[in-house]
Amino acid sequence: MNFLTPLFLLGGLAIVGPVIFHLIRRTTREKTTFSSLMFLLPTPPRLSRRSRLEHLLLLLLRLLALALLALGFSRPFFRQTPLVDPTAIPPKRIVVLVDTSASMRRAGLWAEARARAEAVLRQAAPVDHVALFTFDRQATAIFPFEEWDRAPAGDRAALALGRLGAVTPGWAGTHLGNALITAAEALAETDGKAVPGPRQIVLVSDLQAGSRLDALQAYEWPKGVELRVEAVKARNPTNAGVQLVAEAVDASRTAATVVRVRVTNAADSQREQFKLGWTRATGEFDGPAMDAYVPPGQSRVFPVPLPKDVAGGGAAAAGVRQIALTGDDENFDNTVFVIPPRQQKVSVLWLGADAPEDPREPLFFLRRAFTDTPRLAVQIVAHAPSAPLLPGEAQSASVIFIADPLPAALAAALREQALAGKTLVFAPKSAASAATLAALLGRDSVPLEEVKPANYAMFAEIDFQHPLFAPFADPRFSDFTKIHIWKYRRLDAAAIPDARVVAKFDSGDPALVDIPLGKGRLVVLASGWQPEDSQLAISSKFVPLLFSLLDLGGEMAPPVTQWFVGDQVPLDSAPGRTDAAGGKVRAPGGAEIALAAGATSFAQTSQPGIYELTAGGRTQRFAVNLDANESHTAPLATDELERLGVPVAVTRPQPAVAADKKILLQGIEAEGRQKLWRWFIAATLAVLLVESALAGWTARRLAAKLEEAAP
Amino acid sequence: MTAAAPSSSLPSAALIDAQALMSIRSLELRARAVVEGFWSGLHRSPYHGFSVEFTEYRQYTPGDDPRYLDWRVFARTDRFFIKKYEDETNLRAHLLADQSRSMNYGTRGYTKAAYAATLAATLAYFLHLQGDAVGLLTFDAAVRDYLPARHRAGHLRQLMHTLEKPPGGRATDLTAPLERVTALFRKRGLVAFISDFLAPLDRLERNLLALTACGHEVNVFQVLDPAELNLGLEQAVLVEDLESARTLYIDPATARADYVKKLQAHCETLRAICRKLGISYYLLATSQPLEIALFEFLQERMRRGRQFRAVTRAGSGGGA
Repeated sequence: MNFLTPLFLLGGLAIVGPVIFHLIRRTTREKTTFSSLMFLLPTPPRLSRRSRLEHLLLLLLRLLALALLALGFSRPFFRQTPLVDPTAIPPKRIVVLVDTSASMRRAGLWAEARARAEAVLRQAAPVDHVALFTFDRQATAIFPFEEWDRAPAGDRAALALGRLGAVTPGWAGTHLGNALITAAEALAETDGKAVPGPRQIVLVSDLQAGSRLDALQAYEWPKGVELRVEAVKARNPTNAGVQLVAEAVDASRTAATVVRVRVTNAADSQREQFKLGWTRATGEFDGPAMDAYVPPGQSRVFPVPLPKDVAGGGAAAAGVRQIALTGDDENFDNTVFVIPPRQQKVSVLWLGADAPEDPREPLFFLRRAFTDTPRLAVQIVAHAPSAPLLPGEAQSASVIFIADPLPAALAAALREQALAGKTLVFAPKSAASAATLAALLGRDSVPLEEVKPANYAMFAEIDFQHPLFAPFADPRFSDFTKIHIWKYRRLDAAAIPDARVVAKFDSGDPALVDIPLGKGRLVVLASGWQPEDSQLAISSKFVPLLFSLLDLGGEMAPPVTQWFVGDQVPLDSAPGRTDAAGGKVRAPGGAEIALAAGATSFAQTSQPGIYELTAGGRTQRFAVNLDANESHTAPLATDELERLGVPVAVTRPQPAVAADKKILLQGIEAEGRQKLWRWFIAATLAVLLVESALAGWTARRLAAKLEEAAP
Repeated sequence: MTAAAPSSSLPSAALIDAQALMSIRSLELRARAVVEGFWSGLHRSPYHGFSVEFTEYRQYTPGDDPRYLDWRVFARTDRFFIKKYEDETNLRAHLLADQSRSMNYGTRGYTKAAYAATLAATLAYFLHLQGDAVGLLTFDAAVRDYLPARHRAGHLRQLMHTLEKPPGGRATDLTAPLERVTALFRKRGLVAFISDFLAPLDRLERNLLALTACGHEVNVFQVLDPAELNLGLEQAVLVEDLESARTLYIDPATARADYVKKLQAHCETLRAICRKLGISYYLLATSQPLEIALFEFLQERMRRGRQFRAVTRAGSGGGA
């Protein structure tokens, strides 16, 4: 017989009680009077001198009742041969998911993670199916189920560990959500068919707070897949990271003088004072370092002044391109690579007979719209239509504005430019330019008719899908009705093949027409922006619209100044760059990666640093930095995973403990089935009934005897 | 402790068994039975020795009552002499009877109170027959009843009636009655103090001293049940105090020796006090015939009387 709660058996010791009570001479209930107690002292009850126990049967019954009660409470049961062998667990499918993100580079983490993964792999039963995945931005199966099943049972763990040994943490961010989804899907089906039995994901990770879980929000977690978290803990919690912040748009400055960086301190850090400054490739600070005070769990943005040589944009900046942070325990996220912003020079060709400083003429407004910014310097080259173009003048311009009638030869030359990929903006001052438009379009004639509305015209139908108006697509900016148009040139867009009417006036006439010409395009503005034609020049839409036109020319550099590890960097798509025969990228370590011909992006950004792309005789530099979230190294609460619907196993039971637990559970089950305690309690009650009857009978007999004895 | 053995001069055949005596309901009859049985057993009349006794002569001075002139001396000597007598006929006897609840204890079919009442009644009856004035004061924690000492018809009956009242009271206070007696009894007399004296004795000595200082002849009768003398419990029982109703679990087997020792010490203290103050002390077990008590009392009194007379005569330097 076994007992579920054997401690209750100690209650059986209570049987000593009745024995003692029986040995004690019962204190008489009889009372007698005495004249005075002044010479008497109370006598303590004493044990019967006679070792003979009185009422032996009663005593035995009482002992029996107590013993039965103790037995009943100790929940006895008979252990039966277990129906199911506790070791005969159905085969499990396990995905071991090992974090190789940059935060795992912290001291000691990777070794511990490997040890944990090894423990899990070695604990797997021979019948289990196990796959080993690593993940940072994506999950990669380094030892899939098929290989596991194929390998001999004894070698599986060693083989898998061999694969894991070849892996080291990279520099990428932690996309935990994606990795979990990949693992769950790998578990859910193999070779397209569902697999029965328990399924488990064992996540070996530092579970940093910066892990991205957003993918899980839209994912319905498959039933029966359980997540077990084997969290590894960093020895030194103090970690601060530095990231580059997009520069502030400051129209008052024409050149960049500072680089703004954000210093993030992990929530569990123990320090808050750091040093920040430009460093050489060798690591030491280049010039004075600034103090950065960031309390744990917070982040601060610090403007770091550009060194003079870098600010000048000279080639001398080559040696100093990184800002480093010191003062924390972990170095992996302490360096940010900076490509100092460079002003891009763009030239715009204006073909019109305007007086340069005449406020009634469109050129006056164009010059004021294109002011210099730290990123862009627009040079406007005004050219009288009659004057011949200098060689290369049209070639170097990003956009060519045409406002006045042009000689046919010039118009033909411009058409050639457009066909080769140039963007022409035709904004005629009058209907007299119809012939020029016809020449640009390569047609005999294009009817252009001067229209002067009775009151004024307005922009009515605007295609916000078009790149020109895309910046105004937001309803906050899409109101063009305040711009009054006094007069415009009517163009029959239907007559021009491929012409796309981007905007119409309220009269239904086209206001802005985009006509593709070969590789380039011709944008026709039916009304000018000068005060004589419309109020466009004084509206807030004017400058963005002009920059949109510049963008159409493809001259604007991408606004992104940095990339993160693992990002796909789009290559410069300007004509004549990458479609030339390949090209190569020089990675920070010095390795050169050849680009395939026609490649549009570069994906091997596997480590932070400055990459140098050489293609088509031009060199493009870009900085690749660590994912900013990797610096949030405080541990993530597993509740967060639970909240997203991922069932997290609470404990990691040791096999021996698990077996014990299993046996205990079997015991509980057997006890619950047998319910022997009921019989013991019933027996106790029966014994107590007999005892009561016997005690009553004895007492009555004694009373009768006493009565007899009394005279 | 046992009571004093009966005097050898008292014929045992004359004794009435206390049990038999107590079965007489009337207290007066009991007293009479004792006294008369006692009388018939004595060889001398108790009146002897209690006669009017001549003490001295004194020369007559004008103003003296001429009734007391001794004419025979005048005839012989031709001088007037006044004859003086001892004033002993009107003895005032005061009986102090304890009627506290502890007196309500008894194992022989009657209580100590009944025995004490019989003793008091016997003394009263005896003294009454002698022509003495007898008074009574009963008490428990306080004085209950008081009858001044008188010698008149009906007084004795009233006294008996008072004695027949059942005991009561929560405690025994030996101080209050004695103080009261000291205040009440102006004239010298005889005081018989009947109690079980099962109470603290600390202030008793002072009170008794005050009484003897007033010239009273004090007799202390300690009445105890035989069961009290040797803790007559048969088995371990819960014992309730008759006065305070306090209960104790007592096993006589273990408690007896200590009890007897303490009781003996108590009685010995009382006896010592009495001896020191020249007070007659009698310890009476209720199993003892009353005549013995009476006999001893009288014997003691006579012995004292003789001593007293011897002393006074010696002090007066003879005469006649």
